[in-house]
Amino acid sequence: MSQPKIINRRSFFGKMAGAAGAAVALPYIIPGTALGKDGATAASDRIVMGLIGSGSQGTGDMQEFLGKKEVQMVASCDVDKGHRDNAKAIMDAKYGNTDARAHADYREFLAKEKLDAIVMALPDQWHAIIAIAAANAKLDIYGEKPLARTIWEGKNIIEAVEKNKVIWQTGSWQRSEAHFHRACELVINGRIGKVKFVEVGLPDGGPTNKPHPVQPVPEGLDWDMWLGPSPKEPYRGVCHWDWRWILAYSGGQLTDWAGHHIDIAHWGLGLERTGPIEIEAKGVYPREGIFDVPVEYSIHAKYATGVEMHYANARQVPHGMGVCWYGENGSWIHVDRGERLFASDPKILDEKIGDNEIRLYKSLDHVQNHLDCIRSRKETIAPCQVAHRSISAALLGEIAMLTGRKLKWNPDTQEFLDDPIASRMLRRPFRSPWKLQGN
Amino acid sequence: MKKNILTFAILTGILGLFLLVPSCTQSPVSQAPNRALIVTGQNNHNWKGSTPVLKQILENSGLFSADIAQSPAAKEDMSKFKPEFSKYQLVVLDYTGDAWPEETNKAFETYVSGGGGVVVYHAADNAFADWKEYNKMIGLGGWSDRNQKDGPYIRWKNGAFIRDTTPGIAGSHGKQHAFRVTLRDTIHPITKGLPLNWLHSQDELYSQLRGPAENLTVLATAFADTAKGGTGEHEPVLMTINYGKGRIFHTTLGHAMGDSAYPAMECVGFIVTLQRGAEWAATGVVTQAVPEVFPTFNVESKWPLFRPLTLVEILSNLKNYKPGDTRYNMQDLTNYIRANYDGGAKYAEIEKLLIQFLEGTGSTDAKNYICKELSLWGTDKVLPTMKKLEKNEETAEMARYVTERITGKFTN
Repeated sequence: MSQPKIINRRSFFGKMAGAAGAAVALPYIIPGTALGKDGATAASDRIVMGLIGSGSQGTGDMQEFLGKKEVQMVASCDVDKGHRDNAKAIMDAKYGNTDARAHADYREFLAKEKLDAIVMALPDQWHAIIAIAAANAKLDIYGEKPLARTIWEGKNIIEAVEKNKVIWQTGSWQRSEAHFHRACELVINGRIGKVKFVEVGLPDGGPTNKPHPVQPVPEGLDWDMWLGPSPKEPYRGVCHWDWRWILAYSGGQLTDWAGHHIDIAHWGLGLERTGPIEIEAKGVYPREGIFDVPVEYSIHAKYATGVEMHYANARQVPHGMGVCWYGENGSWIHVDRGERLFASDPKILDEKIGDNEIRLYKSLDHVQNHLDCIRSRKETIAPCQVAHRSISAALLGEIAMLTGRKLKWNPDTQEFLDDPIASRMLRRPFRSPWKLQGN
Repeated sequence: MKKNILTFAILTGILGLFLLVPSCTQSPVSQAPNRALIVTGQNNHNWKGSTPVLKQILENSGLFSADIAQSPAAKEDMSKFKPEFSKYQLVVLDYTGDAWPEETNKAFETYVSGGGGVVVYHAADNAFADWKEYNKMIGLGGWSDRNQKDGPYIRWKNGAFIRDTTPGIAGSHGKQHAFRVTLRDTIHPITKGLPLNWLHSQDELYSQLRGPAENLTVLATAFADTAKGGTGEHEPVLMTINYGKGRIFHTTLGHAMGDSAYPAMECVGFIVTLQRGAEWAATGVVTQAVPEVFPTFNVESKWPLFRPLTLVEILSNLKNYKPGDTRYNMQDLTNYIRANYDGGAKYAEIEKLLIQFLEGTGSTDAKNYICKELSLWGTDKVLPTMKKLEKNEETAEMARYVTERITGKFTN
């Protein structure tokens, strides 16, 4: 069965580019449904998108894209039938038709759908495989944080994104909030003097332990596919949401939140494209149940600039959640969600930033920034190269906790100095047959 | 398995105690630099359980050899109970019961004021309500008709301790439960380096203690939650008292009742603070490191044998592991390897035992867990074992991961 051919925006613009911007009308078919209800954006100009990983985070992300008139969401993909059908139903309800498609297998989703871009909200163990496949399919990507489960996987994502020249936006949306941006501009322009120390408070929370007996896989869930490259495990009722508490899929709150507050800490220091040179950490791991991510974590990292960072679960840092940069003469700036922006002296917060000072990338709408960059082909506010450094800081902490030793790291080559044990942790073996495309 | 070892430990202790015919026995000559005397024999708790545990804890520190002074039973003739306190650097009180002979009391006062070390353990602060000098030594006491006449409550209010002279009873506790201990002095040698808050395993939370509270430093409190029948106050649980030249460490923790399983005494927090408190009382300094497995804000930590397990014990506990079982044994293994990894001879011995386990009859889940550890720490020496494990479908995957990480050759 042949689908009505929706012209792909990328190929459209690609062809246009050769015509020196002249309004050359190329033959294409616009299916009536693609016009949408309001028709404010011509179908040819709409960005055709699909959602892969349609659980709670993916559906939430999708809603934001659905709210943009220039976007046409056409398909969902998930290993859980309930999830993918639900996402399709939301798309259909938005457009008042039944045209959206639901796929179980991402390979089919990528091969059959004619997409410009995807939204990706998967458990961490899947990030690299699918991101790289999508980049190789020349799709622009809105990818949830953290970028990847290991540093090796993150490096491979960057390589694929750069090779294919696709646009990547990470779901580090705090960057597109005015008060986080403001905090970072104040810090980077020296309004608290030279920053010597930064404290990053990430959530305490974590798993509530309860028995997880082996049980039948729920109908509609492809459990083996959900596990993907992770070790084979019988189904114990830990899948959506609670995968966060198992090391095979995630590093817990630490890796979940690195893409938020560690990201912001780096941004304010101009360290968003490098990493620490020394890492020391202590983790406390659960003593009951099947969850095995640390329930307490405290990581000290030193950067080549001399700045030291302490990131830990919030109750181990004085200001709690958020980022607190400490400058000179007892001054500090603390920023957190909920428009919380404080300083040792409130006058600091009234400081103007001059035009000849450092102005950080400004976005006030994270999704819009991504869409704008898809059109302009410019870098987004949260590109994968930056996301990689945010999660790397957490992953290095994870390795320091597991090895219990002080690690020395070269952020340029992204290798440990003379530490073969720690080096092993930079990459995890994949379960067959899964591998990264091109490896 | 864990329980078996525990029961064994307690039985050995109890049997050991019953072999003590004379009222005071001495340990064989030991390398330990300090001698301790545990005074016991009457208590409203199971002193036959707690005293051998205290002895083990002291001796496991490597700093003490401990003798036991066992008093006559209640209402029996006490006149000949005269422990030779002066021969010891430390006296540990696990006693509440009949009054000692006046001569013994005087000897104890002389011992302490002259610079002796004392540990007041749990119900020992119930003892001797009428012995004035004893109450100065314990600082705070409870029960035995104590009330405002015996001294104030010590209350934590607005960031400082106050003496609260409100009339009222002394001594109470709610239902036993695991509770959080909060340090109020983080620079004292006993508490320096401990987590600010840590979860103590199920215990009685002694509350409303009163006493002279002279020369008293509260090192830590615990909040007595009203939901557990508590006072709603931050109750002192670890204290030091100076009496003359003597140093006293007072812990209200460590309830022991019944014949087995004393979670309060198994708590690494109890054990380590007791060891550190004992060292400080005996010597004025603390040289012991804080173990990595000290309990934290919300994670309990226990040593069922009142010391870290050996690798052989850990592996024996792991033998039947299945997912969902306690992770204690696995964490013990992880911590053991991490703490002892030297990249050399010591690790080679560890690896030998791990290989032995992998080639033995332990559970597949345990073997897979050990493989996870070996994927981090393992050397080429484990590779032949991995080859064997790869032939078994249930261990093949993890064995391949170990091989891939050790050799750096990844197939996927």
